[in-house]
Amino acid sequence: MEKKIPLNMDGRDVEAVAGQTILEVAREQGIYIPTLCHYSKTTNVGACRVCVVEVEKARSLVASCCMPVSPGMVIKTDTAKVRASQRLIVELLWASGDHNCLTCEQNGACELQNLVYWLGIEKPRFNVAPPGYETEKTNTMIQRDLNKCILCGRCIRACNEIQVNEVLDFSGRGSRAKVGPAFGADYIDSDCYFCGECVDACPVGALTFKQARFAGRPWELKKIRTTCPYCGVGCQMDLNVYNDRIVKVTGNRAYEQPNGGSLCVKGRFGLDFVGHPDRLKTPLIRKEKGGELAAATWEEAYGFIADKLSGIKKNNGPESIAGFSSARSTNEENYLFQKFMRAGIGTNHIDHCARL
Amino acid sequence: MKVFRSHLLLCGGTGCHASGSLEVKKVLIAELDKQGLSNEIKLVETGCNGFCAMGPVMVVYPEGILYVMIKPEDIPELVEEHLVKGRVLQRLLYREPVTEGIIPTMQEIPFFALQDLRVLRNRGLIDPEKIEEFIARDGYAGMAQALTEMTPDQIIKEVLDSGLRGRGGAGFPTGMKWKFAAASQGDVKYVLCNADEGDPGAFMDRSVLEADPHAVLEGMVIAARAIGAHQGYIYCRAEYPLAIHRLNVAIGQAKEYGLLGKDILGTGLDFDLEIYQGAGAFVCGEETALMTSIEGKRGMPRPRPPFPAVAGLWQKPSILNNVETLANIGQIILRGGAWYASVGTEKSKGTKVFALTGDVNNVGLVEVPMGTTLGTIVYDIGGGIPGGKKYKAAQLGGPSGGCIPVQHLNASIDYETIVQLGAIMGSGGLIVMNEDKCAVDMARFFMDFCQDESCGKCTPCREGTKRMLEILTNITEGKGKEGDIELLEEMAAIIKDASLCGLGQTAPNPVLSTIRYFHKEYEDHIRNHRCAAAVCSALFKSPCQHTCPVGMDIPSYIALIRAGRLEDAYKVMLRTNPFPSVCGRVCDHKCQSKCRRGKMDEPIAIKFLKRFISDNAPRPKIEAVPVTRKEKIAIVGAGPAGLTAARDLAIRGYKVTVFEELSEAGGMLRWAIPSYRLPRDIIAKEIDDIRALGVEIRCNTRVGGDVPFAKIDQDFDTVYLAPGAHKSQKMGVPGEELKGVYGGVEFLRDFNTHETAWTKGKKSLGAKVAVIGGGNSAIDAARCAVRLGAEVTILYRRERKDMPAATDEIIAALEEGIKIEFLVAPIKIVEKKGKVTGIACQRMKLGEFDRSGRKKPIPIEGSEYTLGVDSVIAAIGQVPDLSFVPKESGVSVNKRNCFDLAKESGSRTTNPKFYAGGDALTGPDTVIGAIAAGHQAAKDIDGAIRAQNCEAVYEEPAGEKIVIPFVLDEENPETPQTKMPELHGADRKQSFIEVELGFTMEEAVQEATRCLRCDVEV
Repeated sequence: MEKKIPLNMDGRDVEAVAGQTILEVAREQGIYIPTLCHYSKTTNVGACRVCVVEVEKARSLVASCCMPVSPGMVIKTDTAKVRASQRLIVELLWASGDHNCLTCEQNGACELQNLVYWLGIEKPRFNVAPPGYETEKTNTMIQRDLNKCILCGRCIRACNEIQVNEVLDFSGRGSRAKVGPAFGADYIDSDCYFCGECVDACPVGALTFKQARFAGRPWELKKIRTTCPYCGVGCQMDLNVYNDRIVKVTGNRAYEQPNGGSLCVKGRFGLDFVGHPDRLKTPLIRKEKGGELAAATWEEAYGFIADKLSGIKKNNGPESIAGFSSARSTNEENYLFQKFMRAGIGTNHIDHCARL
Repeated sequence: MKVFRSHLLLCGGTGCHASGSLEVKKVLIAELDKQGLSNEIKLVETGCNGFCAMGPVMVVYPEGILYVMIKPEDIPELVEEHLVKGRVLQRLLYREPVTEGIIPTMQEIPFFALQDLRVLRNRGLIDPEKIEEFIARDGYAGMAQALTEMTPDQIIKEVLDSGLRGRGGAGFPTGMKWKFAAASQGDVKYVLCNADEGDPGAFMDRSVLEADPHAVLEGMVIAARAIGAHQGYIYCRAEYPLAIHRLNVAIGQAKEYGLLGKDILGTGLDFDLEIYQGAGAFVCGEETALMTSIEGKRGMPRPRPPFPAVAGLWQKPSILNNVETLANIGQIILRGGAWYASVGTEKSKGTKVFALTGDVNNVGLVEVPMGTTLGTIVYDIGGGIPGGKKYKAAQLGGPSGGCIPVQHLNASIDYETIVQLGAIMGSGGLIVMNEDKCAVDMARFFMDFCQDESCGKCTPCREGTKRMLEILTNITEGKGKEGDIELLEEMAAIIKDASLCGLGQTAPNPVLSTIRYFHKEYEDHIRNHRCAAAVCSALFKSPCQHTCPVGMDIPSYIALIRAGRLEDAYKVMLRTNPFPSVCGRVCDHKCQSKCRRGKMDEPIAIKFLKRFISDNAPRPKIEAVPVTRKEKIAIVGAGPAGLTAARDLAIRGYKVTVFEELSEAGGMLRWAIPSYRLPRDIIAKEIDDIRALGVEIRCNTRVGGDVPFAKIDQDFDTVYLAPGAHKSQKMGVPGEELKGVYGGVEFLRDFNTHETAWTKGKKSLGAKVAVIGGGNSAIDAARCAVRLGAEVTILYRRERKDMPAATDEIIAALEEGIKIEFLVAPIKIVEKKGKVTGIACQRMKLGEFDRSGRKKPIPIEGSEYTLGVDSVIAAIGQVPDLSFVPKESGVSVNKRNCFDLAKESGSRTTNPKFYAGGDALTGPDTVIGAIAAGHQAAKDIDGAIRAQNCEAVYEEPAGEKIVIPFVLDEENPETPQTKMPELHGADRKQSFIEVELGFTMEEAVQEATRCLRCDVEV
């Protein structure tokens, strides 16, 4: 039996489970506490401080994302003091960067923008003063604009704790702190695998998918769940589609198994072939040696293969045929393939690319 | 064991190393060898002795003689005199700064005498690199007791009983911390020592580590035993190489002696120690950041809970204690918690070490019982503020703390009181600031530090400190706005409340505390672009000009003297000051107190140069200004305030009439200041210049007497009331009404009215005169009395340094043979047949500090005595006499007998037709203050009239353009202020001839050349 912890939140008597944070309990209760740096499945760092709440007898405000509940706690999430703090923090974040929603890829899906709206801030009381970093242009996959970075550290934790690539961390102190690979390197010159986990983690427009830029606003994109075609793991993902074109691929943590929203470089950035003009859309057959490949129908192609294989088997025996299957196929497909080779062709010459 | 006849304890702390003790040591060793004394006299290099201001210092035992500020070249004489001939070398002994008396031994020097050494008990006594010397002073005895005779619970109980609280600043009870960690389950636990001392101005931990490293090790072993740890780390900043070196030596020796490492003292306890060198991030002094740093990660704090006692270093139960905390432990175990708790306050026990720095004479390391007052630390131990400057505030707790201003000098230094006052104990940095420090700039400095040291993890600290700094910087650069103070306060509250770690939670403290105590200074920066301390250089051209109440263009007229263009210099002076030749003699020259040259050697003699111009330049010709305006203005009082207003208004085309009760114009300049300071013709010339503009001055005309107040009201459109403060305050002692008892200003006025009668002996003070008071009028009265042939004694109830009179005046009085008795107050005038025969006095001692930062005199019972005198002059202060202002006039007069002003006005009274200024508004003030008031009144009166008529605001005519020369000096070697030639003391007692003779051209140019020309942007 889990130990129940009685507490009071916004006037409600609530029972929580030992070890839960105030934020977790609030979410269960349907009480909204804004967050920015909080990123589930990673360490609670309590960095952004927008999730502060008032706890009776505490000597200061408490970051709800990392404060475990204790018996008899009296928590208030919407006091004037809490809101004033949230407002100031959001104003400070706003003024610290180039949060220009007009051209921002994240417009409409930006957590900072949502928070500004939710708090009803007309404009920050401070001069907007972005740090003036150069936008990183050295790779074709991830657009990195640190002028929009709010230093929440989600990308760092995504990189180090979820993907365990350990490429990203903070450097510099205070307001000169910035996120990036070691020694200020660009992604392309670092150990980065381009899994894109950091981009999915970014709550603002600091990290965006390069291919998706100006290809469709977040609300125009249709998200289509699919299984990654690249390997047998069967990663679940969302194709973000605009006008029947895949704009980008995002992970979806709600799908849970098998990949919990994480992707690798292939699934993340390797689907641009789908809409590529050079993509093969019909089988090609080279009918005579040295001749051109010519388009064919599937019937023609399968007929051609069946004829050839049957011919070889008949003339040279089934042992003259070997099968090699692909990691991009599913388990079931691989099973069928070996069945076909063994039972259909009659050979044990069968192998799989993953063994190489 | 070898016995030496004498031990030389030479300080080898970082402070003394910096002031040259290593070189002294080298020379000393050579000299001892040379004299063949090496076998008789032992030289020991100790840790920090504490008296850093006087370094290098050395104590000679067995006599206990303290030598200060030793230079290598002093060594041969020192060895020859003291060690060979047995004569104390007087010139290297400590001199008390005020009395200049020599104090030969440490115990008698107030700096040491008032301290209570517990943590620092071995300082300056042992060689920190010799474990035997530590053991000989009961070192490791507490540890031995803890390990052999006590259970962990007993150890913790003893520490709890001692009441020891964390000396790193937060003040959490050390015993509680240990108790929690002891209760945590786990085979692996850690004892950590926080030696990441990083706040500006703090050097307690460094000094402890340098002077007594074993004391810290001992504390750590005891802690290990108490919580069940086997490994410890000392996190010491890499900038402390000497501390790290001595710690390494100490750890090596302790291991060799079986006091550290495996099976300590055969008790089975294993405890090993490592030093981890921090790279200098301030945030790594925060416990979780420190642990993250030891783990090899970026030193950033993490949220608590879990607390270190549960999951600290590498997620194992850990305790982290400050150096000073740990250095206390051995003694607490050895002598008992009750012994420790025997000093201190109810909630703050024991002693606290402070690093006393800043504007204080005895910069150094002091240890005092908790509950000692701030004033005791700053004045009695610290020796007060150098250069006769005033105490402004002391910053406690560095960038995380706050300042404690002058009105709280009596505050008890303990955790609770300090927090109530808006500061924090911090690790014990105590930075004293004098009047030349700007509160806003100070807040800006600390905020700059915090935003620079913020790790950048949490938003309020990272972005909030940056923005607060931006606002503060704007204010110091004259770009502050209304609402900035409120925004700073709002941000400060939120940053304190919402930041992740102690750095952010305390970073706004300096801002909040300066706003709390120096709100007006913030307002002055924002609204008037004024920095009273003349620090925020973006607000002014030069500190002297900025400090002058009328903003005289000092650098320009000094530059013109150097160029020999005296007439132009005179014109420059007249732009802002109608009385330059008066001010050249009697101004209190605040400008000089802020002169940047003063930071190098001595300030420029601005006052003397001003006088030089007015004495030597041709007087610019004054022409009458035609009356162009219909409004008629009356001015009551022909002192500097009234005459300045008259002049300004006449220049603007008004018809001005000045009413003066006495027979001549000039006010206090004419009637109170004696002619040996301010010759009559000098005043007369400047007043004539004002008359020449067309101003009518009606002398012998008392308003409310010769002319009814109502008539003035009726005949004039606007009235400016500037009657001054011409009534002496009463002493309130019996016999005050006797003939032969004078008020200071009344005596001076009478003397100045009937000068011949006095000098010819028709009027007389008698042979002996007592003057009561310590201000300028007391000195004036005394110096007049001396000139009339009397033997004069000034009785002052405080000490010399507390006298409000100008230092030069005090010196002049002493030169003229006037005696000053300090700490004496009159209680009764003694008479015989209605004639004064003496004054009964009582001796005083000094008690607590009053709000002005001076100690309050308290009568000593039974100390009464009578001084035989023939007259008494009581010059203890003046008040205005406003009896001429009828109640029904609507002009309100307050309890201090001064005019009240309408809200938001600098000169308008409660009746909009009447304006007021000068001493009658402020109480007794300076000439230049009165001139400034006159300018202000003229501007306000003219402004109000024009506003009423819907006219444009007055614009000063462009005037003659005077090009100011500038000579860039390649070098500007240190040279003292040029001395003012004076009449000899004996000569001047005979007459009322001006004492100060004035600079020659050569002297003036020489002095003018010293000017650093802060006004020029190159």
